Amino acid sequence: MKGAAERIDSACAGVEPEYTETAPVRLPPVKVRIAPQDVAAFCRATGGHRRPVEVPLTFPARWLALPDARDLIVRSLGDGFIPVHEAQNFAYEHALQIETDYVLTVEARRTPAPPRLTLRMDIATPQGEVCARLETILRIVPAMKPVG
Amino acid sequence: MESGAPQLPEVGHKIPAREFGPFDQKMVEQYALASGDDNPLHLDRKVATAAGLADTPIHGLLMLACVEPYILDWRSDLFIAGLRCKFLNPVFAGEAIRLFGRVASRRVSPRPELILRLVARTPRDTLAIVGEATLLCRQARGAR
Repeated sequence: MKGAAERIDSACAGVEPEYTETAPVRLPPVKVRIAPQDVAAFCRATGGHRRPVEVPLTFPARWLALPDARDLIVRSLGDGFIPVHEAQNFAYEHALQIETDYVLTVEARRTPAPPRLTLRMDIATPQGEVCARLETILRIVPAMKPVG
Repeated sequence: MESGAPQLPEVGHKIPAREFGPFDQKMVEQYALASGDDNPLHLDRKVATAAGLADTPIHGLLMLACVEPYILDWRSDLFIAGLRCKFLNPVFAGEAIRLFGRVASRRVSPRPELILRLVARTPRDTLAIVGEATLLCRQARGAR
């Protein structure tokens, strides 16, 4: 069975980025607060959630779009390459609560053959109790086919 | 099992299959806004086709967001403590997915726990997602 990333790879053979394995890069902790309007917008956009008073299971992935995390991802990909979502894990110790503060730590690690970017996020209370962890695995593929 | 503990289904029990979507391009754009994932692969057909895809694929996490209502509409007394998945084939804008779930493992001690195997299929009957969810009893956790 060929995955989406494999399909893209075969279409773009020969233009793999020359990535080598790097040490994980960890961002400084970031404070976040879960705003009810953000949860409501997320629930509308994902449809089907009947429990808008609760934080959806996949909601924390949106924190990968926070400026520092986004910048880290963009830098890790390099110019001319895009991410293809290959795998995703969520592990919860406690449910997240609306209008509650959390502290995120995000770590990124690039690995070669094939090029991947693995992002790990810990979500903890300000007191340091981990509530959830997520792992996002992205294949790094060329954005465009080679000319000729 | 303790008196009053929730009754858990046996291994092999199947959750009724359920369709989610179709997810049109407007929904993909709304998800991009709400999630902050504005990867052009999902939003620009030229980028998608140049990368070797037939059309813009919907976000994997938009599909994965369907797993939570799929499970909780079946058993609202359970807490999804873990969800792991792989995205195997793209689902394109305009397409729906069909979710299937089956109890793969069950234990009652030291705490009630179920492991579900999950599959999402495309309208072309290819596998879009394979995954696994770990479910605990809400009451026992006092959470969610």
